Amino acid sequence: MWSTHQFWVGLFGALGVEGRKLVFSSDTSEEQSRQFAKGRGTVDCCYPVKCMSGHYGELVARDKHRKIDVLFSPMIASLPSFLKGHVVDNLACPRVMAGPENIKSGFLKENDAFKERSIRYVTPLVSLADAPLVPKQLHPHLKEIFPELGLEETKEAVRQGFEALEAFNTQARRRGRAVLEHCAAEDRPCLLVIARPYHMDPGIGHEIEVDLQAFGYPVLWAQYFPTDPDLLEWIFAADLKAGRIRSTFDVADVWPSSYSANTNEILWGAKVAARVPWVAGVIRLASYECGMDQPTYTPVQQIVERSGTLFFSFQELDSTKPAGSVKIRVETIAHYLQKYAAEIIAKKKAVAAPGCPFGTSPTENSAAAEAASAAAPA
Amino acid sequence: METAKLEHYLAYKPQPFTRAERDRVTILFGGLHWRVERLIQGAMGNLGYRSQVLPTATREDLLTGRELADIGQCCPTSFTTGNLANVLRRETQQRGAKEVASNYVYVTAGACGACRFGQYHQSYELALRNAGLDSFRMFLLAQNGLEQGAAEGGGLELNLPFTLGAIWAVIVGDLIQDVEYQIRPYEVNPGDTERVAKESIEYLHGIFDRSPVSGMAKWSAPLWYVGTRRFVDALREVRRRFDQIEVDRLRVKPVVKITGEFYLQTVEGEPNYNIHRWLESEGAEVYPAAITIWLDYLMRLAGQDYADHIGIDRHARLKAGAIKAGQGLLRWTYNRMRKALADLPHEMPDQREIRTLAAPYYHSRLNGGEGDMLIGKALWAYHHKKAHMTCELSPYSCMPNTMSVGAMAAVTGKYPDMLYAPLEIKGDAEVHALSRCQMILTEAKRRAQREFEDTLKVNGITLERARELLESFPEMKRATYRVPRLGAAGTAANLVHHLAARARS
Repeated sequence: MWSTHQFWVGLFGALGVEGRKLVFSSDTSEEQSRQFAKGRGTVDCCYPVKCMSGHYGELVARDKHRKIDVLFSPMIASLPSFLKGHVVDNLACPRVMAGPENIKSGFLKENDAFKERSIRYVTPLVSLADAPLVPKQLHPHLKEIFPELGLEETKEAVRQGFEALEAFNTQARRRGRAVLEHCAAEDRPCLLVIARPYHMDPGIGHEIEVDLQAFGYPVLWAQYFPTDPDLLEWIFAADLKAGRIRSTFDVADVWPSSYSANTNEILWGAKVAARVPWVAGVIRLASYECGMDQPTYTPVQQIVERSGTLFFSFQELDSTKPAGSVKIRVETIAHYLQKYAAEIIAKKKAVAAPGCPFGTSPTENSAAAEAASAAAPA
Repeated sequence: METAKLEHYLAYKPQPFTRAERDRVTILFGGLHWRVERLIQGAMGNLGYRSQVLPTATREDLLTGRELADIGQCCPTSFTTGNLANVLRRETQQRGAKEVASNYVYVTAGACGACRFGQYHQSYELALRNAGLDSFRMFLLAQNGLEQGAAEGGGLELNLPFTLGAIWAVIVGDLIQDVEYQIRPYEVNPGDTERVAKESIEYLHGIFDRSPVSGMAKWSAPLWYVGTRRFVDALREVRRRFDQIEVDRLRVKPVVKITGEFYLQTVEGEPNYNIHRWLESEGAEVYPAAITIWLDYLMRLAGQDYADHIGIDRHARLKAGAIKAGQGLLRWTYNRMRKALADLPHEMPDQREIRTLAAPYYHSRLNGGEGDMLIGKALWAYHHKKAHMTCELSPYSCMPNTMSVGAMAAVTGKYPDMLYAPLEIKGDAEVHALSRCQMILTEAKRRAQREFEDTLKVNGITLERARELLESFPEMKRATYRVPRLGAAGTAANLVHHLAARARS
């Protein structure tokens, strides 16, 4: 939901559901799992899927004044990634897409927990990367909620959903560009978070990037990195010229099996981080037992580190925030950034293509690199 | 002033495998069961390829895989990665890295989508780099394409003759495996089945190796494969060989159906704790998982996708129809060959029924792993009394299969008498997995025995009388005699029903 929530808000809004009638479960927390997921788990798997039992349980257990009528939990088979058209496919993680079926069984195995509370459980499978198919997939399920709903109305609601999502993404990327421009203007370092969208959930990503932000480093997420053509053509100029990639969104040079939307975005984010001078450090987040991230560990680290960019990985994240070790690592990262960021920026600027849309020239880049090399410790 | 340069990370890209190299380069492949691997080797040899089957992965390979690739792999990745790396290391010690890189290529299936199976190349690549074999050539073939063209360089043409040869090898290999597992638990002279199975596979290898496909035009091959009696006749000969084995099907054994993740349910060896042989040694009749059913499932998935696009993509209806025809052809071919083996091999389940059975628990469009088929097959075996117990093999941390296994909680909640043993396979926790399986197997044995005793009672005969009847119908002691299914899951119980009916007639 973290990368598509605006689609659903837009869709239900278009269907006449008032904002106050649309309830999201709260952020993930251990407390939520303890209180609402007890006895509901069916298998041991990654926390981002396992924690869904707590979210379901929380919504199902709402008291009678706040009771929900419908529990809507879509099975998202593919995602509307900005890399679509440049990669092999845009599939969601197999666990995330099947999560609702798995979690549902925990609420049905002894008795039907939804029926007992008169809750309609609606779980359509939806391929958000295949926009023309979406109304056909959603319509029969939405009809369970809105019996009079026609296919044409569904099409219109879907259109408005995608529009809302696009508007949100555009706004987030615009703000990302403003941050980057500010960093470029002041030659300040920023951090790029490379993670899956659900790591934005404070209970899953444990707000590690927030702790770093407190040290004064602006934080960008790869998913919302600006995608303006002028910027990307500058970032990937050398790769395009050498024919290593067909477009600025192509990841085949580092990741030929580009089936997974979020994995593709992670690899693309790593490439961006390796090329943008002001991204001095990368924070990689990965959850315990994440089979999607596992094969990407080495390529992502290699892509980032070969460029001289700092790389810090927080792997095996689970339900409990290891607060002590996170604190030590965050302080270490801040120390490294303080010590090396200027040098990293200078060196990356030295190899950047001319024509930076933020106004830094190659001459300035070279001069900065020389200055940085001279200042760098042996 | 010198321009600063930066060498960015690039993914592995194999050097071309050219047509001119085909005569001297050996293609390595593996990861299936030995029968199918040997027959595919025959089909490849027929098309002029030199090939070598990788040995079945071992515990040592698992450790190598874990050592060389990124942490947190599922165990099939560790086993197969380590297996390739160890074979190449051994070859390198004998011939040197340069000669190995020049004289061998590795071909494997990949590309099923977002599951890690579609990203195995990364593990192989990392392992090769870490083992100092960066220049070794590895090629991926999609498991869902009949005509994929030539791999880089043209040395390996993944065309119709190649793909159909592999599919026919899979069907024939599956049938032999099925027959073998139905006969071995009941053989009177231990070792007979093993010997005949090996001889039969060697004989069939020759049938594939010397088939006339090699001289045919690319588009003639499909017609030949569909029309030829070559494989049917060969399987009749195989039946004759199996017929020499004497069996005693009045031995009471629980039937255990194997399902699970593709690699673990298919391979026979340390990657799945030798579960097939272990179950047999514990007194079970194993109902193995046929690769052909996996092919049928893949076609069903493709057909569903096209069906969903009817009204959106103008060719979707046609494509959906073509897939349906393909499924029909696969079933027809399987049944035709099955008939040559006296209909002894199990039938292919109908994918529509599998989907319908699983629908309340798992969506049919959720792909990756066995998806809804894992649930559908367990229910199919339960409702149709195909087995007393289902043993489901899932790799530790397998992404899609854990989802299907989780959904099974609702199934076992609804059918509490279903004997379902989901085993998480790590590769190095054998005692734990087998003891878990044994607990459920004990109950399966009890049920098989009770079913047998009830059958004797219903038919009003004793075991001694059943044995007397068996002596009067000696054809039933032949290995390929098909005992009709008469309402019981167990072979012995069905035989009692059959003997009693024959005695009455």
